[in-house]
Amino acid sequence: MDISIDFLEKKSRWVRRQIVEMIFNAKKGHIGGALSCTDILVSLFYGGIIRYDAKNPSWPERDRFIMSKGHSGIALYAILADLGFFPLSELATFCKNGSMLGGHPDRNIPGIEADSGSLGQGLGIGAGLSLCAKLDSRKYKTVVLLGDGECYEGSVWEAAMFASHHQLDNLVAVIDRNQQCVTDFTEDCVRLEPLIDKWSAFGWEVTSIDGHSYKDILHALNDSRVDGREKPLAIVAHTTKGKGISFMERQLRWHHGVPTMDELETARKELDVDLCEIVVEEGKK
Amino acid sequence: MTDAGLDIRDAFFDELYDIAAADSDVLFLTADMGAFSLERFKKNLNRQYINVGVAEQNMISVATGLTLGGKKVFVYAVAPFVTMRCYEQIKVNISGMCLPITIIGAGPGITYNSDGPTHHAVQDIAIMRALPGMVILNPSDPVMASRMARISYESHYPAYVRIDKGRLPAIYSPGEEFSDGLSLVKRGRDLLIIATGLMVHKGLKIAEELKKHSIDTAVMDLYRIKPVNVSLLLDSVSQYGRIVTLEEQSIIGGIGSAVMEILVDHGTMVPVKRFALEDKYCERYGDREWMHKHYGLDDRTLLNNILAWL
Repeated sequence: MDISIDFLEKKSRWVRRQIVEMIFNAKKGHIGGALSCTDILVSLFYGGIIRYDAKNPSWPERDRFIMSKGHSGIALYAILADLGFFPLSELATFCKNGSMLGGHPDRNIPGIEADSGSLGQGLGIGAGLSLCAKLDSRKYKTVVLLGDGECYEGSVWEAAMFASHHQLDNLVAVIDRNQQCVTDFTEDCVRLEPLIDKWSAFGWEVTSIDGHSYKDILHALNDSRVDGREKPLAIVAHTTKGKGISFMERQLRWHHGVPTMDELETARKELDVDLCEIVVEEGKK
Repeated sequence: MTDAGLDIRDAFFDELYDIAAADSDVLFLTADMGAFSLERFKKNLNRQYINVGVAEQNMISVATGLTLGGKKVFVYAVAPFVTMRCYEQIKVNISGMCLPITIIGAGPGITYNSDGPTHHAVQDIAIMRALPGMVILNPSDPVMASRMARISYESHYPAYVRIDKGRLPAIYSPGEEFSDGLSLVKRGRDLLIIATGLMVHKGLKIAEELKKHSIDTAVMDLYRIKPVNVSLLLDSVSQYGRIVTLEEQSIIGGIGSAVMEILVDHGTMVPVKRFALEDKYCERYGDREWMHKHYGLDDRTLLNNILAWL
């Protein structure tokens, strides 16, 4: 699939704009981690990696995407709405009374495969789905997005061991390596490095990429579709927390900060995309 | 064949074997826990038997993924570990998404007597019944254990089945449906003992002893701890002047609590005495009978305490 990088870049700016607006509107939300994984999510859903049917979210042959770092679900909400899983107007209700869109995703939302928000559980679920596909000789793949801070959870490594033992080559874990957890930088808190060696030692094929380079992301993810691999694939995606909004980048206070009106205006200028603009690929307008 | 006299665990697993042999979508996950009757399952239905290792949290998450993919999954480990070690996963994945996964806990209460508090499951009823949608089953004999394998297979809800160990005498005849959730296993006029699992047998023994004191005692087997059949419970309770609850569980949050909550919420004012494990860890070890004595749940102490209360 030939994807225009300009299209992905603009789509990411549109998703980031939605994230900032939703959080400003709700006066709450995990902003930094949503911004760090936006380019990964855009690549997955607009880059032809995840096969889906927005009109039939339970299409049996769809690829399964598990948002294990559930606190960044807001980025996925914007994408699912844009893809037609549910109306765009729902985004304005984020965390408002009676909304279906809460701070963490659940299966009542069309397009969400599994509830998340409690860290360290998505990879095991993904391993179960991948094993199920193998047992039934089905072709779908499963992609799980984890936070790097999430890798402190022991259950991540229980699942990592299980997946490699069962040779789940239809399973991909993408680790949003933004170097930060809630209140600290990971390497100052409890060292995660050498993270690549850890995944490798657990029997995974590992690749390290720039998590904001569409070329890198698509290359790594397309590689995951090559048959004949015997190991699950871990993609350590180096990212910047708060990416795309200069004053939020790498700042601890933006794990779940809410922008002021002035900060919102600055963010809008930097993102330089109209919220109402329907971002489509060149030639498809 | 009658299941009377069969090991209660074997009764459950033999039925599960037949279910799995007929339905290849049934998967059995164990956190490295075996049983005599599972050897056949492991050997003949190898593709449906997965040992995940001593990793209960991952077992629940993997079971979740398999269920989302369309499988019917049973998970199995020692009762305290398969509930408390992975409670968060059970809450978020199984209960939160209301997935029809069956959690089999081997050794409820103080089944693993001298192995100590790490292996005792005396808080599991309290925490598991706090989870929305969770069905809790506690068979008291092999006939019921066998039937519960089928009930949980056919269920569309999450289930937690507490399975004791050893050859418990048969209370029921084959063919019982066990759809009521509770059953009056002995009739009486003066007092009602409500128990679950192994303690139903103790309740029957105490009832015999009480007869010598001219107290005609009924015994109720509360085999479905959640959801309790409220109307049937209230109907039964209304016929008795006094009620005893008897369980091998912490005094906090077990079936005594469940019964009390229902009586209070329905304005049923009847004197109740709860007999359960004191709110403390044991510091001395012995066999189950010795442990019962240690906790004041042996026949003589129970009898004396009930008589003193009456």
